[in-house]
Amino acid sequence: MDYIPATEKDIKEMLNIVGVTSINDLVRDFIPAFTGKMNLPQPKSELELVRHMRGLAHTNKILRCFVGAGAYNHYIPSAVSHLLARGDLFTGYTPYQAEISQGTLQAIYEFQSFICLLTGMDVANASLYEGASALAEAALLSCSYTGRDRIFVKERLHPQYLEVLQTYCEGAELTLTDRIDNDTACVIAQNPDFYGNVENLHYLAEQAHRVGALFTTCIVEPTSLAILEPPGKYGADIVAGEAQSFGIPLSFGGPYLGFIAVKDFLLKKLPGRICGMTTDSRGNRGFVLTFQAREQHIRRERATSNITTNQALMALAATIYLALMGRSGLTTVAKLSYARAHLLNRKLEKAGFRNLNSKPFYNEFVVKAPRSAEELASRLLKKGIVGGVNLGEDNFLICCTEMNSIQDIDDFVSAVAGD
Amino acid sequence: MSSELKFTKEHEWIKIKEGVAIIGISDFAQEQLGDIVSIELPKAGGVFRQGQTMAIVDSVKASSDIYAPISGEIIEVNEGLIEKPEMINQSPYDSGWIAKIKPSNMEEEFESLMTKEKYDRYIGEIK
Amino acid sequence: MKIIFEYEEEKNTGHLQKEEEEDVCIELPDDISRKELLPIPNVNEVDVVRHYTNLSRMNFGVDIGFYPLGSCTMKYNPKVNEDAARAEGFSNLHPLSPEVCTQGSLKLMWELKEYLKDITGMDDFTLQPSAGAQGELLGVMMAKAYFRHKGEKRTKAIIPDSAHGTNPATASMCKLETITIPSDPRGNIDIRRYRESLGPEVALVMLTNPNTLGLFDENTIEISDLAHKNGILMYCDGANMNALLGITRPGDQGFDMIHLNLHKTFSTPHGGGGPGAGVLGVKSFLSEYLPVPQVVKRDSGYSLDYDCKKSVGRVRSFYGNFGMHVRAYSYIHSWGTKIRKVSEHAILNANYLQALLKDTFDLAYDRRCAHEFVLSSRRFGEKSALNIAKRLMDYGFHPPTIYFPLIVPEALMIEPTETESKETLDRFVLALKKITSELKEDPEMVKQSPLSTPVGRLDEVAAARRPNLRWRPSQRTNQSGSE
Repeated sequence: MDYIPATEKDIKEMLNIVGVTSINDLVRDFIPAFTGKMNLPQPKSELELVRHMRGLAHTNKILRCFVGAGAYNHYIPSAVSHLLARGDLFTGYTPYQAEISQGTLQAIYEFQSFICLLTGMDVANASLYEGASALAEAALLSCSYTGRDRIFVKERLHPQYLEVLQTYCEGAELTLTDRIDNDTACVIAQNPDFYGNVENLHYLAEQAHRVGALFTTCIVEPTSLAILEPPGKYGADIVAGEAQSFGIPLSFGGPYLGFIAVKDFLLKKLPGRICGMTTDSRGNRGFVLTFQAREQHIRRERATSNITTNQALMALAATIYLALMGRSGLTTVAKLSYARAHLLNRKLEKAGFRNLNSKPFYNEFVVKAPRSAEELASRLLKKGIVGGVNLGEDNFLICCTEMNSIQDIDDFVSAVAGD
Repeated sequence: MSSELKFTKEHEWIKIKEGVAIIGISDFAQEQLGDIVSIELPKAGGVFRQGQTMAIVDSVKASSDIYAPISGEIIEVNEGLIEKPEMINQSPYDSGWIAKIKPSNMEEEFESLMTKEKYDRYIGEIK
Repeated sequence: MKIIFEYEEEKNTGHLQKEEEEDVCIELPDDISRKELLPIPNVNEVDVVRHYTNLSRMNFGVDIGFYPLGSCTMKYNPKVNEDAARAEGFSNLHPLSPEVCTQGSLKLMWELKEYLKDITGMDDFTLQPSAGAQGELLGVMMAKAYFRHKGEKRTKAIIPDSAHGTNPATASMCKLETITIPSDPRGNIDIRRYRESLGPEVALVMLTNPNTLGLFDENTIEISDLAHKNGILMYCDGANMNALLGITRPGDQGFDMIHLNLHKTFSTPHGGGGPGAGVLGVKSFLSEYLPVPQVVKRDSGYSLDYDCKKSVGRVRSFYGNFGMHVRAYSYIHSWGTKIRKVSEHAILNANYLQALLKDTFDLAYDRRCAHEFVLSSRRFGEKSALNIAKRLMDYGFHPPTIYFPLIVPEALMIEPTETESKETLDRFVLALKKITSELKEDPEMVKQSPLSTPVGRLDEVAAARRPNLRWRPSQRTNQSGSE
């Protein structure tokens, strides 16, 4: 395929205007000139390309999925991908020219609103990359606000999120601590946690506030917010996390959708883009990017974060998903995810598995298997099931959503129950 | 009795009144910045050396440091600017003041600042 | 336009999953369950589809018209790449699936790294960073780790004044102090000032090449040599790689690290502001600091390798914006060995436009450009770049980047890309020339522009002073279409 319209005649005329005889004359100063041969594939026609890409996609195997752990297999209404495929939405860039970007801008405003309504917070930004780096941004924000450099993390944070926090802390010269005291900038807790446990974290928020630290709740499975108390109600100053559950395909780990929401007093410290409502020269309502002076293109080394490109299209997907599902649809998704996980847990307990959750759980739970994890995984694979995350010592982290039918659940149990 | 206004090259002004230095930004500076939309103020009790960044003002398209024109301790900041940063545009030398400093080395430092005439000549040159 | 929360009456959403007999819902304990009704509206699918379709009609994208937004490489995004990324085998694959299920994805990622190594002249790549800025952050973290292992304490970064704002912002996130170097009269980094700033406390030089003025730095090799003599790492912001494909390689210019923006050079769509993908390439001596996991090829197949003791760790969950890797991979396969043609035409188009416009405006630096160039409209007075940009919308064009780089007054930064035809470029030149005469004949009209867009110029000052950043349920009672 070739996406260049210029003909030989065009090229000649253009070179003439530029005042050179060949394109090579334009790149003589680009040194050292590359003269080797590139080890790239042969150019492909669209037909060849389609065949090649299909072949690769078919090499993957899509099985019945009981894995969560930061990526959740929820149903995506057909209208989401149809709307996302509109070129006027996905081929634009950052809406710096508001007059011709009202579509993107209003969708961001709606996204910010949805995030606030779900989390019980005052203000959200236009999106961050994904959950783990969003949480790291929350930690940086807390340090910048409090002038402190220590971060406390409650146990059972998603291990990859913890690794990302460690990496960011190392780079930004901050410290992870195991004490909450007068040097603590922020206290971080995931809810539901990595094992699926749900807790009212009011006590932790109070503990943080007593020493002048900020309390951050990390949300990794946001459909839970449809039936659980929102973090804003139990004292969160910051909510950061992942919103892939809202209409974004699993896609082998990305692109996903990071988000961050804060209470009003932290607004000026919020990283990334924020959209606001205003009026235009004709008196109509309109939307613009606002508080841009916080951002790198204006503040440079004094910016609150270096984030520039975010996940706008994914935020749009989530916005459309939430609009389509509505209160009723989203609540059913949450209730079903909850019900199916509990159903599978009950059936597994009957088959000799032991549940290890210390608190009520949402749609993920941990069981100790009566036989080795390796054997379990291979039995499930034979039935076309990816059965969960092996946590070691025969402990399994299992997830259910509305996508796991009763039949899937029964197949799971029969695969692991018999001898 | 209050002294005459003195200016820095970075466009802050300073006025001494009963041993306390009142600080703001010049009319030229507010005009260059355009509509100011927010300000980050220092905390009372903070101690700054001459030339250190003590506040940041943001307009829609720019962000600018405010440097301490003289060394000393912040004894008061203009809290009203948080709600109404536009006072800096409307009245840079009066209700748009930014902070009051108790000077620690005034005799030496005050001499290094420009008079109104000298400052006007200076902005004429850089325009 | 209404916002989605203003659809007044509660409708049937239609999107309800069916509950089965066995789905007995256990009551949640009171202290963790939501007390208030979830405050999001129920709207029916037909209204939702119309709402977002109508919003999309208030937007401008590459699919609508010419989008010469400098430094962003707004080239055409081939549709076939979208199909590839949406194929079920890619889009429904859970990232924690066992490796027997993920061989297709792993192969794609491994091969993409090989292609990028070849294109840039680097020895190794990670696909993990989500966007250019995160690639930069990772690069600076790796530089810090490298010097820590060598037992050197280096605390500064050298960055030219023409650099993207992310470069100094990234350095400061990592607690490095920025040394800003001015540009010389030819738009190169001022080599004398550069020499003076070198020293044992400098960790890295962050350079964009071609720079943000659209100029290939004529002293690149000397800059690299001088840095290396002082033990300093050379970092390349590869945002402008669209000028170099097959022509010259950053790895051969002396760069030790480079991030590429797949959404720029390799045509993955910009999505209204993202997702991007900011893959990072390094020379072999930095390989062991790359984040985990790395995709490796073994006799048994492709695999994820977590075993790297010196790795800086992770900058995000899972393996990167995989959907973007698919699109970029597909794009590279469409061009294959002929990929040099992309850059040749990007450069030809830019030089053609520059030649046609350089007498109407002031050329910031009078040299042949790479894939983009910067004009100054200062002869038309203050705010002229803004007014020209706004008026261009009435002619059906997206404006260029304006007021960047900061060192050029009334800057118009124009990047046409290779996918635009001569006819489109000619129409753009005509429109710009027409606007400059309008500026003389009817300046008031130009200041009022755009006149044909869904909304007029927006009050950004009011937006910042009286922020309304979200809808609140209390607005439901006193709502209206306009305020």
